[in-house]
Amino acid sequence: MEVKILSAKFDIEDAHLIAVAKDHGAYQTLDKLFSMSPEDVINEVKESGLRGRGGAGFPAGVKWSFLPKDLDKPTYLAVNSDESEPATFKDRYILVKDPHLLIEGIIICCYAINCHDAYIYIRGEYTSQVKALQRAIDEAYEAGYLGESVGGHDFRLDVTVHRGAGAYVCGEETALLESIEGKKGQPRSKPPFPAVVGLYDCPTIINNVQTIASLPFIIQEGADAYKAHGTEKSSGTHLFGISGHVEKPGMYELPLGLPLMEVLDRVAGGVWKGRKLKGVIPGGSSTPVLTPEEAKTVSLDYESMAEHKTMFGSGGIVVLDETVDIVKLVENLIHFYHHESCGQCTPCREGLGWMLKIVKKIIAGEGSMADIDLLVELCDNIEMKTVCVLSAACTMPVRSYLNKFRDEFEAYVTDAAS
Amino acid sequence: MAELVKLFVNGQEVEVESGKNLIDALRVVGIEIPHFCYHPALGADGNCRMCLVGIEDGRPPLVPACKTPVQEGMKVLLDAEHIKKIQRDVLEFELINHPVDCPVCDQAGECALQDYYMNYSLDDSRMQVAQVTKGKRMDFGCGVVHDQERCVLCGRCVRFTRQITKTGELGIVNRTDAARVSIFPGKPLNNRYALNIVDICPVGAMTSSDFRFRQRVWFLKKDPGICHGCSKGCAIYIDHHREKYKDDVIYRYRARTNLNVNGYFICDDGRLSYAGENENRQTSALADGAVIGFDEGIELVRERLDRARKPLMLISPDCSLEQMWAVQRIATLYGAELSGYSDNYIIDGDGDEYLINDDKAANRRGLELLEIDFSRAQFLTGLQHTDLLVNFNNDLFFGGVDEELKSLLDKTQSIAVCSHQLQVYESASIVLPTASYSEYGGTIINEDNVLQRFEKALFKNEDPKDVLEITRLLGGAINDAPHAWPGIKQSVACLADIDPQAIPAEGIKLQNSEDTNVGA
Amino acid sequence: MSDRSELLSTGEPFAFDAERDAEFERLIVRYPIRESMIMPALWMAQEQQGWISTEAIEYIAERIGTFPAKVFELATFYTMYQLKPAGQYHICVCRTLSCWLRDKQAIVDYLAEEIGIRPGQISEDGRFSLEEVECLGHCGTAPVVQVNGEFHEEMDLEKFKALLATLE
Repeated sequence: MEVKILSAKFDIEDAHLIAVAKDHGAYQTLDKLFSMSPEDVINEVKESGLRGRGGAGFPAGVKWSFLPKDLDKPTYLAVNSDESEPATFKDRYILVKDPHLLIEGIIICCYAINCHDAYIYIRGEYTSQVKALQRAIDEAYEAGYLGESVGGHDFRLDVTVHRGAGAYVCGEETALLESIEGKKGQPRSKPPFPAVVGLYDCPTIINNVQTIASLPFIIQEGADAYKAHGTEKSSGTHLFGISGHVEKPGMYELPLGLPLMEVLDRVAGGVWKGRKLKGVIPGGSSTPVLTPEEAKTVSLDYESMAEHKTMFGSGGIVVLDETVDIVKLVENLIHFYHHESCGQCTPCREGLGWMLKIVKKIIAGEGSMADIDLLVELCDNIEMKTVCVLSAACTMPVRSYLNKFRDEFEAYVTDAAS
Repeated sequence: MAELVKLFVNGQEVEVESGKNLIDALRVVGIEIPHFCYHPALGADGNCRMCLVGIEDGRPPLVPACKTPVQEGMKVLLDAEHIKKIQRDVLEFELINHPVDCPVCDQAGECALQDYYMNYSLDDSRMQVAQVTKGKRMDFGCGVVHDQERCVLCGRCVRFTRQITKTGELGIVNRTDAARVSIFPGKPLNNRYALNIVDICPVGAMTSSDFRFRQRVWFLKKDPGICHGCSKGCAIYIDHHREKYKDDVIYRYRARTNLNVNGYFICDDGRLSYAGENENRQTSALADGAVIGFDEGIELVRERLDRARKPLMLISPDCSLEQMWAVQRIATLYGAELSGYSDNYIIDGDGDEYLINDDKAANRRGLELLEIDFSRAQFLTGLQHTDLLVNFNNDLFFGGVDEELKSLLDKTQSIAVCSHQLQVYESASIVLPTASYSEYGGTIINEDNVLQRFEKALFKNEDPKDVLEITRLLGGAINDAPHAWPGIKQSVACLADIDPQAIPAEGIKLQNSEDTNVGA
Repeated sequence: MSDRSELLSTGEPFAFDAERDAEFERLIVRYPIRESMIMPALWMAQEQQGWISTEAIEYIAERIGTFPAKVFELATFYTMYQLKPAGQYHICVCRTLSCWLRDKQAIVDYLAEEIGIRPGQISEDGRFSLEEVECLGHCGTAPVVQVNGEFHEEMDLEKFKALLATLE
């Protein structure tokens, strides 16, 4: 079932080194790229249907076309390599195994949007990965693919790695920009959108690593070749991360649109230890959970996920076996989102801490049915009242657990009472 | 006048100024949108979420009012049930970790959290788990005391130190509900405007060590006034109270918004200058050091003036325009020379680019407009030749004893009409107490030529007579401040068109008239 | 998140060593504003000193030309900045979702029993410090542990014990 477009060089030894990468096609799109007009590049990407792979799934080419024209300001590219959503670990493979694919993608994007200064925001926890990436960038400078004239063409491009330091919220694109500007990673109110007022108040495009890394294939092989994979509205491939209670967890590149259960069984070896399935988190911890029943009918694309009232998200699939204590899982999730709340907006800052304490109270056997109802209500009261969606990333899945596994919460209350 | 736009609030059409956000625009027409973090001087931050309002057919349908400019035809929802619920919900989140100690909190009575709770919520607390605990009674410097638990993290104080004073002493450290306002260790507030933080803090998180626990704010009478600390003439509130069996005293000054003069803030020196109005006051008339009746004092002064061959009158540059006019008239009456000498009120280098001026005289422009000489040369000559100096509240030793003047004063018979007991008046043979600026009304003109009017705020048990009234008692023809104006208007070209009763709260910017003589 | 605002002082002035001094100057030209260097400079200070002291924050603020309170904000907001000395081996155990599902708790419990340290603590001999951290992005090879920044994946208890044995 796997299709290796992004991961084509992952199995090649030392493909992270420029010499080896070039032997296998790295930077070969550049001559074609510079023969195209930037508009043609944008159109090709639009045509490919490539959607942002960070989680929101916004069409990349459309995003680029929001940039204002003829503005007397530089345009910036910020590559989002802050993948921090629990269950998401895909971009890391690109950084380590084929960083030149990312750099080539950055060149394509920058040419298309007329950007000469790109920043890669990489999460601070990626210690060895940042070294691998910086090494590749240094190599690219040395080989003339970055710097004053990219690949010998009349195009300057500087790429700078900006390292995060432990803040999930910086994956939110405006928090990421704030962080590069030397501030706390606190999301900005929108509008204005970054395409108009972004980094250093200049027009800025923010794209995920995987999105950018998809560009060389699209330019080299054409939009149609890309669209040949996936579904009509969810084209191409995706690096799915499968984790949790499966026999063979890991990162797999798959076309979009495959049935979830088939992938879990055939690619990831099925639920581990011969246990039964309790639920599936389909696209990172912020996506509402699917029951085994729901999981049977969903496929791995944006539309099918939406039909099942959940989200494709980052493609980070987590399998929960029958032994999972959902209440404790919810505690684990709220702990995460509370810990990562930037502290800016009142409902998120105060509300998530409150929710966490209520769940702990229930687990301690001190909860009541009213506490369960209060949790549900707090999800409603917090959600969408804030500048960014971090709090919703917590309340949406938590609400799904409260709805679909309410009996487990109630059991804590009744067991304590009896 | 800015352009007007029509929009709808809860279905009612209102007309407001364009170019403003919803909070500011609707406030003008009496519609309140609750908020913590927004402050017109500090801009919209959008973090508190208290000002979320509905926009019918809007995309998005829910917006922070502070970040939403008014638009023609906009349909704003404030009293819809879902908006009221959001206000209650956000308030609940603000309150869950907030100590419920209003009875002992200094902010009670002027606390946004308390007011909004009364207006928008009144729900019982559902918080049955442990609250977050943080720092209490933290000395942030400059007389600012911080309570991290009471803080709603609106960030106004932080923005104030970054945007207004540009000193940046404060920050919000940590994230989550562990976030808190802090100074950097060993680097407390260190700027001359720090106490504005107490004013702009919407809750009881920032209190003034000078004011806290001295008076409940609901007892305070809050009258508008003008700071007389320097020639800026900042608009203030004079918060005062007469406790039972005691006298009317001032507890604090606060900044009053005047975009023509000081904007939203005042300096700390000015703010704390209220104490001078309470302390060290001259309250009784004296003759050769012995207390006499006030009327008796007036008689004595009249006699001395009548006898004097070459009287010299000195007026304070802090006096109101009307007082100056009245003194000028009475100087003519008695054939006295008049000086407004006050070089010592100017402290070179003390001022800044913002609100603090070198010149500590509140109304030097008044002297200039009335062509009252304030040169040292004229005053020295006058002092050398006079046989009677009548000093109307001019502190010649402001900023330090002037030895040259002191030796001359020691040789001269003098009368002091003064509000305070100061060294400079010690050589006076007759002393008459007079009102200070919080105890009379009048007009002053600041260094930027803005004419402002202020009213009498304090009513003391024994109300001191102000300089103007004393001139009347000495035989002058000016009865009260309004009575001075026909003459002033006739004499000063740039004031000719002023109606003193119609000076707006923000004052009037006078035209510079080059034909006005500056003291020679 | 627990309070991180209690800074520690070394009592000694801080300055970048020659290598980091050069690195600072090399990087700063990449940004149009100097404040963009706050985060990189904090990282450099942490690499040089092992942790970030009051003096280091003051130095960075001075060098960049910003307020110490602003650098203080960032140092406390971003949780990877160490604001106190760590052990010779600083162990970070991922506590989030996939690692939790695959029993990261066994590792945490083992450290409590064998070495006597709980999250946030440093062993008496100063060799080990333990921190439970949020998702490290290695969910497919959970549970994952970082020792002094180096990743160790698929850490079941036996493999973790073996790892611990290699730490001198």
